[in-house]
Amino acid sequence: MDEPLPSPKWIERRVEDGRPVLCLTGVWRLAHVEGIANRLRELRLDSREPLLLDGSRLEALDTAAGFILLKHLAGAGYTRALVTPRGFDPRYEQVLALVLDRMATAPSAAHTVHLGLVQRVGAAVLGLLRLLKAHVNFVGVVTLELASLVRRPGRFRHRETVSQFEAVCIDAVPIVALVNFLIGVVIAYVLGVQAQRYGATLFVADGIALGISRELSPILSSVLVAGRSGAAFTAQIGTMKVEEEIDAISTLGLSPIQVLVIPRLVALMVALPLLVFVGDVAGIAGGLLVGTSLLDIAPQVFMERVHAALEVRHFVVGLAKAPVFAAIVAIIACGMGLMVSRDARSLGANTTSTVVQCIVWVIVLDAVFAVAFQRLGI
Amino acid sequence: METVLTVDSLVTRFGSQVVHDGVSFNVRYGEVVALIGGSGSGKSVLLRAIIGLARPTSGRIELLGQDVWKSGPVAMDELRSRFGVLFQDGALFSSLTVAENVAVPFLEHTALPKDLIAPLVGFKLALVGLPPEAGMKFPAQLSGGMRKRAALARALALEPDLLFLDEPTSGLDPVGAREFYRLLRALADSLGLTVFFLTHDLDMLVSIADRVIALSAGRVIADGTVSAVRESREPWLQAYFSSRA
Repeated sequence: MDEPLPSPKWIERRVEDGRPVLCLTGVWRLAHVEGIANRLRELRLDSREPLLLDGSRLEALDTAAGFILLKHLAGAGYTRALVTPRGFDPRYEQVLALVLDRMATAPSAAHTVHLGLVQRVGAAVLGLLRLLKAHVNFVGVVTLELASLVRRPGRFRHRETVSQFEAVCIDAVPIVALVNFLIGVVIAYVLGVQAQRYGATLFVADGIALGISRELSPILSSVLVAGRSGAAFTAQIGTMKVEEEIDAISTLGLSPIQVLVIPRLVALMVALPLLVFVGDVAGIAGGLLVGTSLLDIAPQVFMERVHAALEVRHFVVGLAKAPVFAAIVAIIACGMGLMVSRDARSLGANTTSTVVQCIVWVIVLDAVFAVAFQRLGI
Repeated sequence: METVLTVDSLVTRFGSQVVHDGVSFNVRYGEVVALIGGSGSGKSVLLRAIIGLARPTSGRIELLGQDVWKSGPVAMDELRSRFGVLFQDGALFSSLTVAENVAVPFLEHTALPKDLIAPLVGFKLALVGLPPEAGMKFPAQLSGGMRKRAALARALALEPDLLFLDEPTSGLDPVGAREFYRLLRALADSLGLTVFFLTHDLDMLVSIADRVIALSAGRVIADGTVSAVRESREPWLQAYFSSRA
């Protein structure tokens, strides 16, 4: 049994009557384009002589393979006049005609620009400055709207505000309580272990009471609210922006700031002090648990110590920070929501950025408050 | 002429709501077929059942020789590379540029090197009449007409035998719409493509459709050439064809 002759790969080069002929054979389809391109390169065509293209042995031809062929021929210097087709099935002639007609305007490959480290840092800084500018602008807009409310209090939308309050405060109580409770447990334990060395375990109560109410509850509760409500505000408002609902509000003669932003701002500023209070109670309860179970402090003794150490000013300092943090979270979240643009990535990116920005600003402001209160002797 | 699509006694039910109540038709190689029907007549659901996105309650759909809802995932993958879909607003991936969008089928389904994919992508963009600069833009930066063309380029990337289009001219101005459906017809004729499209556009229907299938109340109420269907005495079809000013 004779071995079948190996079929010529894609193009067979012949000479007929002194003219070069390229015989196209096989299935000229996208899947085989790489092989075809390699074969074309191998042939080393010379455009000084007219060429005959024979398509009688083609089993299939699609635009991808046709394009690769014609692009190669054009690249080798062949013009229309120099190439004569022969024996092509009319379908394949049509395909080649279409490719020839359209390929003249084919763009070259895009040239991607890779930025170096310095450029990326620079671009990031500029981006941050732009963001800061946008936020400052937004603060101004909201302030003006609040001022107009003072003149016309009837414009205040209490239904939206109460509804936001429910979402922001009521629904957040369990998680704020839980997280602060657990932090109370952890801090009490860490302090207790150290205090035991000096026989001063009772002062854990002091540490808990002051630490939780002045710093930990405000920070933790604000971070939780930023993650929960801040992200929610950005996502809600951002989706509305994409769906053109913000535009619809404006065209109905309403102010999007009044309808969307101010209810959220007010709700958050009322809710966060309440949540901080819940956090205070939960944190001290956590400390109490550790005090009674691990540090052998009787509950009444612990609570008396808390009562003595926790002067009103510490409690008030914690609560006073809350509305400021709330305003920061609300302004950043709503501002980022209004800046969402029409692509799928923007909503996610802005929501993430909101949470990060809120957390950073809360911590920064907390540090500022700490220094300020220390100077003021509060 | 071989049949590329057979829909046989398709029934689709959502709870108590019956969307398709025994829909049957077929599409032959090289035909340009339009599916028309009032809003809510189940056209989109039918398209989604055909392309394997929404399982029907009962019935059979045979696409390019394969039963769509009895094929395993590997067979379906292979089938998907043989047809292209143009969704209503293009459904381009918004975080990729147009060129990157068109490159996705090449990257996912072929082993071609990047230096072959780039010119092929460029050619597809030129094929649908997009200017060279469009490749580097993001979908959000393009007009509706250009988005549709970009989506068409992506649908044509793998040299499909069959093209499905969901309301291809919706949202386009009359001139843009006409350019688009003429492009479709030219491509169909040159490439031997079979085209199946859903439409409300009477001009497109009359200009490029070889055959029209009309869906109403979950059934096929007409199936024939445009001139034949025009003569139908069905009230909805009479209203449809007389709706031109």
